Amino acid sequence: MNVANRKCIRGLSVKSMRAARSRNLIAILAIALTAVLFTSLFTVALSINDSFQQANFRQVGGWSHGGFKYLTLKQFEEIKNDPLIEQYGLRRFVGMPENAPFLKSHVEIGYSDINQAHWMYCDPVEGRLPTEDSKEAATDTRVLELLGVEPVLGNEFTMTFDVDGTEVTETFVLSGWWEYDEAIVANHVLIPHSRAQAIYDQVGIGSGIGNDGMTGSWNLDVMLGSSLHIKQDLSKILANHGYQTENSSAGDNYIPTGVNWGYTGSQLADNIDPITVVAIAGLLLIIIFTGYLIIYNVFQISVSNDIRFYGLLKTIGTTGRQIKRIIRQQALLLSLIGIPLGLLVGYGVGTRLTPVVLSRLNGVVQDTVSASPLIFIGSALFALVTVVISCRRPGRMAARVSPVEAVLYTEEMANKKTIRKAQSGASLPRMAWANLGRNRSKTAITVASLSLAVLLLNMTVTFINGFDMDKYLSKMAADFIVADAGYFQVGNMWSAERALPEEIITELEANPGIEAGGRVYGKSSPVEEFVTEDYYRAMYGAWNDQETLDNSVAVAQKNEAGLLADQVQLFGMERYALGKLQVLEGDLSKLHESGGRYVAAVYSDDDYGNPQMDSNWAKIGDTVTLRYVEEYEYYDPETGKILDPGNMLDDRPFRYRAKTYRDIDYEVAALITVPHSLSYRYYGADEFVMNDQTFIQDSGTSNIMYYACDVSDEGTADMETFLSDLTNEQMLQFDYESKSTYAAEFDSFRNMFLILGGVLSFIVGLVGVLNFLNAILTGILTRRREFAMLQSIGMTGNQLKTMLTWEGLYYALGAVTVSLLLSIAAGPLLSNVLASIFWFFTYRFTVLPILSIAPIFTVLGIAVPLMVYRTVSRQSIVERLRETE
Amino acid sequence: MSILKTHDLKKIYGTGENTVHALAGVNLQVETGEFMAIVGTSGSGKSTLLHMLGGLDRPTGGMVTVDGKDIFSLKDEELTIFRRRKIGFVFQNYNLVPVLNVYENIVLPIQLDGNRPDCAYVDSIIETLGLQSKLQNLPNNLSGGQQQRVAIARALAAKPAIVLADEPTGNLDSKTSQDVLGLLKVTSQKFSQTIVMITHNEEIAQLADRIVRIEDGLIVAR
Repeated sequence: MNVANRKCIRGLSVKSMRAARSRNLIAILAIALTAVLFTSLFTVALSINDSFQQANFRQVGGWSHGGFKYLTLKQFEEIKNDPLIEQYGLRRFVGMPENAPFLKSHVEIGYSDINQAHWMYCDPVEGRLPTEDSKEAATDTRVLELLGVEPVLGNEFTMTFDVDGTEVTETFVLSGWWEYDEAIVANHVLIPHSRAQAIYDQVGIGSGIGNDGMTGSWNLDVMLGSSLHIKQDLSKILANHGYQTENSSAGDNYIPTGVNWGYTGSQLADNIDPITVVAIAGLLLIIIFTGYLIIYNVFQISVSNDIRFYGLLKTIGTTGRQIKRIIRQQALLLSLIGIPLGLLVGYGVGTRLTPVVLSRLNGVVQDTVSASPLIFIGSALFALVTVVISCRRPGRMAARVSPVEAVLYTEEMANKKTIRKAQSGASLPRMAWANLGRNRSKTAITVASLSLAVLLLNMTVTFINGFDMDKYLSKMAADFIVADAGYFQVGNMWSAERALPEEIITELEANPGIEAGGRVYGKSSPVEEFVTEDYYRAMYGAWNDQETLDNSVAVAQKNEAGLLADQVQLFGMERYALGKLQVLEGDLSKLHESGGRYVAAVYSDDDYGNPQMDSNWAKIGDTVTLRYVEEYEYYDPETGKILDPGNMLDDRPFRYRAKTYRDIDYEVAALITVPHSLSYRYYGADEFVMNDQTFIQDSGTSNIMYYACDVSDEGTADMETFLSDLTNEQMLQFDYESKSTYAAEFDSFRNMFLILGGVLSFIVGLVGVLNFLNAILTGILTRRREFAMLQSIGMTGNQLKTMLTWEGLYYALGAVTVSLLLSIAAGPLLSNVLASIFWFFTYRFTVLPILSIAPIFTVLGIAVPLMVYRTVSRQSIVERLRETE
Repeated sequence: MSILKTHDLKKIYGTGENTVHALAGVNLQVETGEFMAIVGTSGSGKSTLLHMLGGLDRPTGGMVTVDGKDIFSLKDEELTIFRRRKIGFVFQNYNLVPVLNVYENIVLPIQLDGNRPDCAYVDSIIETLGLQSKLQNLPNNLSGGQQQRVAIARALAAKPAIVLADEPTGNLDSKTSQDVLGLLKVTSQKFSQTIVMITHNEEIAQLADRIVRIEDGLIVAR
């Protein structure tokens, strides 16, 4: 039967709420704190995701969802208005300068419409994009700097660049510029469409597409409705117009497409490692649990105090369901205030924490603080779910009460105990203990809530304590390492362009503090080794599927013995660096022989320093044949025709092989591992180390990858200043690493966890204290009459206070004991998990945080009951005795 | 010898128009070993009088002497201590401590005073009140009559100068009321215990040695 009674129930629920002010206040605070925890977690998580995405976009060079490449005008016009496309942008590539001053830079000249320019981060900070039919162009500060042109609007600059094989020199007027962003690979010079067309006409492309298949073509970049299935959407769009992107040789309806991996690559669940996912899930659970502990407790206590009221409601005909609804509505009403409050505060906390976390994540330069509505929706939802879960049991309890029992109900009926075997009489501590037993679930939950905070704090400190600086610094093999800035950046490959000039080393070595130092030469010319097919498959099998692997094996060049040619990585090390190597087997002394042909085979090791013995094929005494290639030739695998590398078709298969080369045999003298800080810092091929002279002689190159040195303790500060000045003021393209930068990095890493753990423990602690306050407060308020009675039979105020203080102390003692036991129990488990995640973690047992929290709890345990009692004792004994329930 | 004396005892609640003269100058004497009943209707001031006699509330004027001591010259804490040594209370709704068992409840006032109970005396009270088999029970497991008997035992245990009983049978049925009152009377005689009981029930009052009537805050007849 459905009766229109909702309004009546709502009225009841609102009115009975008014009677419980202090409970409401505590419940609102509890709900708010829960929401704070959720919101700050989501803010940090989503901000990290956003920052990753931004970093990806900048590496990609843009944030359009994807694009269609090398279209004709007709195809462009046809596709651009597809209903699946939300927005489109046009880019037409014109040319690239290849001579000084652009030797080391990737600069593109071309036309981009306003959308496309925006998506490529080409947003002028001063001026604007070029207007049509003018001589204008817009570019970034880096291009201007290389050209030696001041970033002043109206300045003219002239560039010589290659347009589909023809050299063109053009002069532009600066119409706008934007800041150079080192994370973005390509620098753009944007010119008007009319100017681009004029240049196409000039080199004879006209309205067609150049020989390179690219110049003069129409590129359509698009934003779709959603970033979730870009690839499928692009295919669907093409299919709508009778094109396909699957098979380049299947016909002339093939159109190449590009998907911005910044989107696919940064989906939180996809790309972030499982540990992070587990950590976030774990945190969510902890927060739900924290919230449950207090919200449940607040409602449980309030319901058991108001049980007579619910019994009365039952007596006059309120159903259990209606009573449940009353309680749920109260909880939701309180959430209405608590959750928004928590969202605001939580967002504030989250935005403060985000930079702390981001500063520790590699590859993210700029902080992005997400303001996604998802944060607020998600946090509010989680908080609401916590509230609803938390008030379910109290609701059931109120609904189940029998009208008759409710009148007789006193707190201790919650446990069925009727006998108490004590003959010695009651002492105050014992009475206090017995009082805690009245509502066991309240006591247990309050203690659990307090313990949780202490436990989290202890775990945080254990975690931080375990960060072993010595272990961490052991990875830094030299006091100082100096190299091109790119060498230190993750994701960069080292090449001759990043060589360290001899002058810098001369300048460096003039520093008096240097005790020892040495150059390490990097490989800058093509060198190959020959490996068995089995080894080849084992090595590449880890990253590639079977088909790709088969294909690579088929394509690979083979020598007379049937071995497969493969790229190899080489180090030419001076004596100093050789001394830093970890010898697994054999002897490095042979490498020092000048003129000798010895190498050390490099094995990789994991973070914990365990060498992986299958990471190289070469064993002591093996002969390694290295092929120094002087020239490659390209050929068509089907016809065998030699191809011109400067003029190859994009969609024709080709292969290449060494045309002129020298083969040199070396003997493996030692198996070694190279400390990470002295390595190439990326991995992709078998590596061998030889001495510097042999390397220079055999490879014919002498590009210095880095210079490493040890400095006396007194000289360290001077060296630090010298290098910091050199790399930050004088020669920005170079950078250095030192033990102290490693130490600083270590510290900031540790601080991140300290801050995060500290904030978490603090808020959870706040929740615990709030819970404790509520437990004490309600415990005292509901016993006002009982206290008056005790006083009337002769308990003095001081004795009463002593008893209450004991109650408070039992809570504190309980929390400390429980967290101590849990910490001791969880310690070994935690240490194993952490040590397997962080290689520089050394478990050190500590209960210091618990012990240092103990006095705080003791003070709280004493102060809170006393404070609450003061408010109660304002009423006279007679007033309290007369108070009817 | 008077163990309890009041002199012009006044209690005024409220101010101005709302002034209520709960006690309008009560003079009363109670002799040692006497079982006295104070009878009055609801609102007559009998409860207020009892609270004053027990030192639970302070009067607006006048004084109360217990065992020769002017109790309102004592500070609150002193008064509480005096109370637990000299006065035993029996309330209408028993007012036992729910977390303590029967025995613990009985000896609580003695222990609050930091003393060891006089075992022989306590045992004889327990026996007189027929509570031997219930000593380990918690109050919620007892009937109303049993709870009230525990309350009486508690009031007697510290050998107080006076036991003050506030409608001790107010929550009990008539049969149980008779039992409890009988026990009260017996203990009064057996332990020479001074008892002042207030009630609105004339019939119950008849059991007392002496009946005093109170109306509108004044003693009207002896």
